[in-house]
Amino acid sequence: MTSGRDRGHASTTSRAPCAVELSDLTKWFGAVQAVDSVSAAALPGQVTALLGPNGAGKTTILRMLLGLAAPSSGTATFGGQRYDELTDPVRRVGAVLEASGWHPGRTARDHLRILATASQLPTDAPSQVLAATGLADAARRRVGEFSLGMRQRLGLAAAMLGDPDVLVLDEPTNGLDPPGMKWLREHLRRLADEGRTVLVSSHALGEVEQIADHVLVLAHGQLLRSAGLTELRAEAGVGSRVRTPQSDRLVDALEAAGHGCSAVDDDLVVDAAPEQVGELAARHGLVLHRLMPTIDLEHVFFRLIGESDQAPWSAPAERTPS
Amino acid sequence: MTALIRAELLKLRTRSATGLLLATLTLVTLTVATSVPKAGTARGPVSLHDPGVLAGVVGIGFAVPVVFVVLLGGLAFTQEFRYGTATATYLGEPRRSRILFAKWLSLALASTIISVATLVVSVPLGVTVITARGGEVSLAPQLWQTIGAGFVVMAAYAVIGVAVGALVRNQVVAVVGVLVWMLVVEQIVIPAYPVAGRWLPGGATDAWLQLGPVLDLDDRLLPAPLGGLLLLVYTAAAVALASKLTLRRDVL
Repeated sequence: MTSGRDRGHASTTSRAPCAVELSDLTKWFGAVQAVDSVSAAALPGQVTALLGPNGAGKTTILRMLLGLAAPSSGTATFGGQRYDELTDPVRRVGAVLEASGWHPGRTARDHLRILATASQLPTDAPSQVLAATGLADAARRRVGEFSLGMRQRLGLAAAMLGDPDVLVLDEPTNGLDPPGMKWLREHLRRLADEGRTVLVSSHALGEVEQIADHVLVLAHGQLLRSAGLTELRAEAGVGSRVRTPQSDRLVDALEAAGHGCSAVDDDLVVDAAPEQVGELAARHGLVLHRLMPTIDLEHVFFRLIGESDQAPWSAPAERTPS
Repeated sequence: MTALIRAELLKLRTRSATGLLLATLTLVTLTVATSVPKAGTARGPVSLHDPGVLAGVVGIGFAVPVVFVVLLGGLAFTQEFRYGTATATYLGEPRRSRILFAKWLSLALASTIISVATLVVSVPLGVTVITARGGEVSLAPQLWQTIGAGFVVMAAYAVIGVAVGALVRNQVVAVVGVLVWMLVVEQIVIPAYPVAGRWLPGGATDAWLQLGPVLDLDDRLLPAPLGGLLLLVYTAAAVALASKLTLRRDVL
């Protein structure tokens, strides 16, 4: 945990606070409802995470927020204004939506120069953000030669060009190695502490735990929960993560005993303490290869997801437009 | 708008494809400028002593690189989608109509530079080759008409190229489609079925550049002013369609 966690609004006051607000945001793609009446907010001074499995609607929400996709209904605003209503969008909002948003033949400096020129930013803005993201030495290298971590940094540099009040980052931790993760975590923390609103999407629980102050849990396009990380931890209770070659029999035994569980990778995440799971397995003569307490947030997350749907990691189902 | 146009020109300058296209354009222009007078003396319908021979060379000089101008225009949009930079472009300026106009204006400007480069190669080389082969060089009114039409044709094709890229968005489909249409379909239909072919964009272009004698299609193309008008109608239609779809489509 960082010391700045759960502090709410930051002490820096020079920056104009600008909250992100989603109100009944809905998106249909043909017969598929990708986002279902999501209402939520991300506040200044906090890192807010949109957390959900692939296909939960995270990227679609961010694209509607940024004016790249039209909502079927509802609104997504920055301080009450739609993105296309902002008079100087790059100075208000910085965004990174995909790691591949660059021409491989261009240098990092040229990539940023184009963006700065289009938005009439100072000519030294590219150099400043390259230095701030640790890419100054790579400024004249072609982006196609960059590692994934360097591209993520370049994406963040592009988002920071206009020194914006709000940062919107789609899966910023994808492909980062541990040092890259540490750098990103500290960078986002510092940006939030400066009074900016930081909204990130992620499907990785562990990463969200390290980065976010506030979590918006999504599945199948629906907002399941909006809560602070501290609040979620307080209600988490104790859970287990267990690995067994007899998972079908263990699931049956757990369910018979009234415990919920979900399959994650090769493990089961169980709504019961490790002692209970171990004793239950012993009573049924089941072999366990691994048994450990779960990360609290993971436990809450799977409980929320489990309440929402039995198959949370599947693609959105087709529904009839209302 | 000026800032957006400057950004678009910077994109063109920092794209390796631009240099490749310009090099190809120069090669093609050289080929045309050296081959047309020769064909005229040996077998073609244009004689070296025809007062319009230089205009024919200059006209061919425009008609050939027009393909590359369309591709350059198309790449202005398709590369944005291929490499994912469209997101950053639209985030910088969420009013998409302004992005479209910036691309159209910057590509039209780039086409003017290519037109000048084409003339710089085709006119001196044409004059040199025609004179060297004993022909007569005449600054007939047709030459100035062809040059004027050439600049507008190149700009129109740049605008059409941007519109094609905005509509198709897939780079391979756009490039292959343009090449097949301009180098195969029109090259077959216009000479083989001039009654229909003269109404195609390529037929209108040939008419406006007064290439009838050079292409052995004299009297079978539209009158030059009508050809020009038809090409501008095609351009306006492409602009209207691209504007309508670009403003409405989701960028996913």
